[in-house]
Amino acid sequence: MTAQTRSTPQTRSLVHRGHPGRRGHKLPRRGERLLYGLIGFAVVLPLWEIVVQAGLIKRVTLSSPSLIATAAVNDLVINGTLWPHLFASSQQFVLGLGLALLTGVPLGLAIGLFRRLNYFLDPWLSAIYATPTIALVPLIVLVLGLGLESKIFIVWLEAIFVVVVSTMAGVRAAEARYLDLAKSFRASRWFTFRSVIIPSSFPFILTALRLGTTRGLVGVVVAEFFAANKGIGFYINFSGTTLRTDRVMLGVILLGLFGVAMGEGVRRLERRFEKWRPDIN
Amino acid sequence: MDSSLALRARDVRMEYIDQATAERLLAIERVDLDIAEGQFASIVGPSGCGKSTFLKIVNGLFPASEGTIEVRPAARGVAHAMVFQDSSLFPWYTILDNVAYGLVCQGVPRKEAQARAKPYIDLVSLTGFERKFPYQLSGGMQQRANLARALTVDPEILLMDEPFAALDAQTRELMQAELLRIWSEANKTVLFITHQIDEAIYLSDRVLVMSARPGRILADIPIDLSRPRQLQIKRSPEFIAYADQIWALISPQLRPESPVGAAG
Repeated sequence: MTAQTRSTPQTRSLVHRGHPGRRGHKLPRRGERLLYGLIGFAVVLPLWEIVVQAGLIKRVTLSSPSLIATAAVNDLVINGTLWPHLFASSQQFVLGLGLALLTGVPLGLAIGLFRRLNYFLDPWLSAIYATPTIALVPLIVLVLGLGLESKIFIVWLEAIFVVVVSTMAGVRAAEARYLDLAKSFRASRWFTFRSVIIPSSFPFILTALRLGTTRGLVGVVVAEFFAANKGIGFYINFSGTTLRTDRVMLGVILLGLFGVAMGEGVRRLERRFEKWRPDIN
Repeated sequence: MDSSLALRARDVRMEYIDQATAERLLAIERVDLDIAEGQFASIVGPSGCGKSTFLKIVNGLFPASEGTIEVRPAARGVAHAMVFQDSSLFPWYTILDNVAYGLVCQGVPRKEAQARAKPYIDLVSLTGFERKFPYQLSGGMQQRANLARALTVDPEILLMDEPFAALDAQTRELMQAELLRIWSEANKTVLFITHQIDEAIYLSDRVLVMSARPGRILADIPIDLSRPRQLQIKRSPEFIAYADQIWALISPQLRPESPVGAAG
């Protein structure tokens, strides 16, 4: 078995990347993926522009690539009004997700290790996961106000469940043969935890980071839609109510790009650690 | 316990409850065994006869239901160390850190543990692979590291649980010869588990034949072949006579549908 075929259930997309043979006989040519991706843009963007220019769809409904580009140049370069929004969102995102990792990873490790703690906390975590965060926004605002605290809390609330559950799965994934080995050498509980359980759960903690990133971004938008006067979510919402579809689109595109960039960053990190990842079959 | 004995087991019995069927299973019963210091002893038996279970009890991975096992207290290192069937090297540690693992478990600082592990890496001919990760090594090399890891804690008894079972036939032969070389240099008592009759004869001073479950010791056969042994010895008439003798004891133990019918 080669290193490339190792993967956690959550990262199955990595499995066949750049791996010759096994599946299919024809290897994809280099850059083929990029080429076809670009062809997609080359077809869709001009079509969109033409449809709007020809008046088939109103500008205010769908905007157009050129209008969005103009808005981007205006708000990002000429008057720079978007930057404070981006800064506010980034701050909420980083603090909220950071807090979710700082609390969620240790909690996930503890829940994975202690069965009774799992039974104790499971209903609460499930409730957090099942409840749409948006429903809690009025309550959160009531308690924490309209400042940064409530935004951070909302991001934390969105991200905490996936972080806890992924980390917990990592603890469970520690293989019996490695635990036996530690026991055979009389490793202390603490050293077993350090030398076996933490490394075994590491790929899962990276998965936690990746999933937490996505959820945290949702949290940022939710928080800013309903309880903010700045941030990218506010920018989108405000632009929508003032019929500036170009700005709505710009905000959405920036969010999407940010999400993709974060996801790719974590995936790179995952690939770096893939070599010593334990087999999980 | 007699001071020349490294291991003394009396009336060991192991019963457990099968998780799947909730049945009581008797894995081994009435196992008596004395192993003298420095001896290479093997237990052969059909698959599932409880020989690995016995080894794990000796290793302290779980307690026996009944009976006593005494291991001579270690003069320097530890009483026993296990060489596992699959190498069980940690994929997140280098070979050097894997081999040093047992010492670090005892609280030896990492640098010192590495320094003490180094001679054993040389002993098993892995010099130059200290900084590699397990996935970069072949199966045979991983088993060498597995062996070095057990030797590094300087055990009185080396417990080996079918360590070559997963290797291809040629590598297995080479590793058997290597193990004899290492054994003669390291001067350890060895308790070796295998289902391969020729492996047991080739390596051992004594071969203990275990019955099908519940496992009992059926026979204790001293192997009177001169050492050092070359691999060619496996084709000698004496060797084949031993193999026939052991096969005659084991074959009635195999159920007709048993997948290990071709063992040996």
